Amino acid sequence: MKTETLPGDIRRGDGEIVLPWWRQQKRQHIDGCTLWFCIMGAAIVGITVLALANIAMTELADPVHLLEVAASSEVLGSILLTFGAGASAVLLLLLFGTPLAYVLARSRPSRFKGFVESIVDIPLILPHTVAGLLVYLLFMRRGWLGAPLSDIGIAFEDAFPGTVVAMLFVASPFFINTMREGFEKVPVHLENVARTLGAGTFTTFRTVTLPLSLRHMYNGAIFAWGRAIGEFAGVIMIAYYPFIISTLIYYSFTTDGIHTSRSIAFVVIVVSLAVFYLLRRMTRHLGRYDDRV
Amino acid sequence: MIAFDHISLSLGTFSLKDVSLTINRGDYYFIVGPSGAGKTVLLEAIAGLHRPERGRVLLRGEEITALPPEKRGIALVYQDYSLFPHMTVIDNVGYGLRMRGMGKREARGEVAGLLEEFGISYIADRYPATLSGGEQQRVALARAVAGKPDILLLDEPLSALDPVTQEKFIHDLQRLHRENGITIVQVSHSRREAHLLATRMAVIIDGTLVDEGRADVVLNTPRSRQVATFVGIENILDGRVAANDGGHATVDVGGHAFEAVTDAAAGEEVTLCIRADDVVLGVGDGRRSSTRNTMAGTITRIVENGPVAEVKVNCGVDLTAVLTRRSVQDLHLAPGTPVTLSIKVTAIHVIRG
Repeated sequence: MKTETLPGDIRRGDGEIVLPWWRQQKRQHIDGCTLWFCIMGAAIVGITVLALANIAMTELADPVHLLEVAASSEVLGSILLTFGAGASAVLLLLLFGTPLAYVLARSRPSRFKGFVESIVDIPLILPHTVAGLLVYLLFMRRGWLGAPLSDIGIAFEDAFPGTVVAMLFVASPFFINTMREGFEKVPVHLENVARTLGAGTFTTFRTVTLPLSLRHMYNGAIFAWGRAIGEFAGVIMIAYYPFIISTLIYYSFTTDGIHTSRSIAFVVIVVSLAVFYLLRRMTRHLGRYDDRV
Repeated sequence: MIAFDHISLSLGTFSLKDVSLTINRGDYYFIVGPSGAGKTVLLEAIAGLHRPERGRVLLRGEEITALPPEKRGIALVYQDYSLFPHMTVIDNVGYGLRMRGMGKREARGEVAGLLEEFGISYIADRYPATLSGGEQQRVALARAVAGKPDILLLDEPLSALDPVTQEKFIHDLQRLHRENGITIVQVSHSRREAHLLATRMAVIIDGTLVDEGRADVVLNTPRSRQVATFVGIENILDGRVAANDGGHATVDVGGHAFEAVTDAAAGEEVTLCIRADDVVLGVGDGRRSSTRNTMAGTITRIVENGPVAEVKVNCGVDLTAVLTRRSVQDLHLAPGTPVTLSIKVTAIHVIRG
């Protein structure tokens, strides 16, 4: 394409003109429809950006208080507890949710399958307080599961296992549905070929299906973990104590006011963004088998 | 070697109905049929990937109906190659050996010769997504034979390849069958592939096995009109036996008499099958000949197809003859040219009923 040379353009040794980036940008055509879509989408992104900018500006204006809050053992302990409980819930989902997702992905459509899928999705449609109440009723000391587990020394009310089980309940659809999508994308033909080459059902799953679903497994785990650490209403019903970060912010807001709770919230935002960014960086090559693809 | 004894199975709305067939050691067995006929399901059933609802599967005389695929010693190559995308070529080919307990390094050493044999050593460390269709096909074939299976199942292996690669692959398959003596079962809807490769074949339509036997017999003397249409017999004519003199019958087809060899009695409905290359086309006054079926007609259309041409002639009934393009040019044939068609009595296959 012939382009008019303007001041600022760079001519290479072979005579080729290299346009500066701002002129390269201009050559990309964006049609009116895409432009309007971008503007409307920007409204959604804008709200998040404004909210983050608002809290950042306010908090960075008082760095001493921010550092004081960030360094407090109560906040650090709460963050570790939240992340740890979320990770525990994800581990349980990996262990129990993965087989369920595989069965759902490979079974033929039926009423029973539809019923199980609806059960899996229930935590998505319930108000969080209702989800919390369901977990509480089942795992409280007199609950169907809580009573026998309490007898062997596993208590859920106001205890770490209670936090984990509440997080597990609300996060499970995010993991199972993402994992199921991943399994569905692995062609059955690959499994069939592995079987004819001498692999049993579980070996086929371990050597073919699972490695090809790793990206979905990772995404499902991240979604589930994100959902778990953000839970509040579901958790406080069964485990108000020990404070997870959402409970701590709520407690701080209702007792100390906006100043401290806002600082805790800002610390959580920074830590969460850092953790998610690190996880993305560490696993960016996961599930990619060749750079040329 | 492997036999299906009245096998029936259902998959959703599709079902295989009462299929019985026998594949012998060393056969190059073709399963042909139109799209959606159940060819692939039948192949997967041989591999043990579908459990029949009724009937028995026998391997070397022993019942293996419930034997899982990993214990059958039957390898499968799909039309889409189905290479494991997360493994390199050498690991794909060595997968079967590793599943039999071989270490990764040992398996790699074992398959090196096989990669050489299939001409794919240069792509040993590449991933499948970076390979051409022909390369993927050879990798899939090498992977399937690496474990020295008793039977190799091929699901339309040539359909996604360009004509040049197809020819090379046909040679590979012929070599594999000849040199290794491996039993091959191939699903296809290509009559040409069946002509080139098959020793025995089965025709399956709508989940039902409608014909089975030696490939030349199925291709040239089909059992039904449906099979005749599918195996590509160009001239299929419905008629009624007017007279039969000790097996030499006269068949009336729309007022035109054809002589053929059949046991069908006078008055019986029959279908005549005549291969286009058995129809001899002449121009001008025909010389005296022993050919019993001779009829005059006019060329209606000439369809050129590579080095040959199909010449459509109307003689009261529509018939097709195949000539070389050179013959078409030398005889100055064109639509409207009056011609004479001759067909030997023995070239007409009669389907009764």
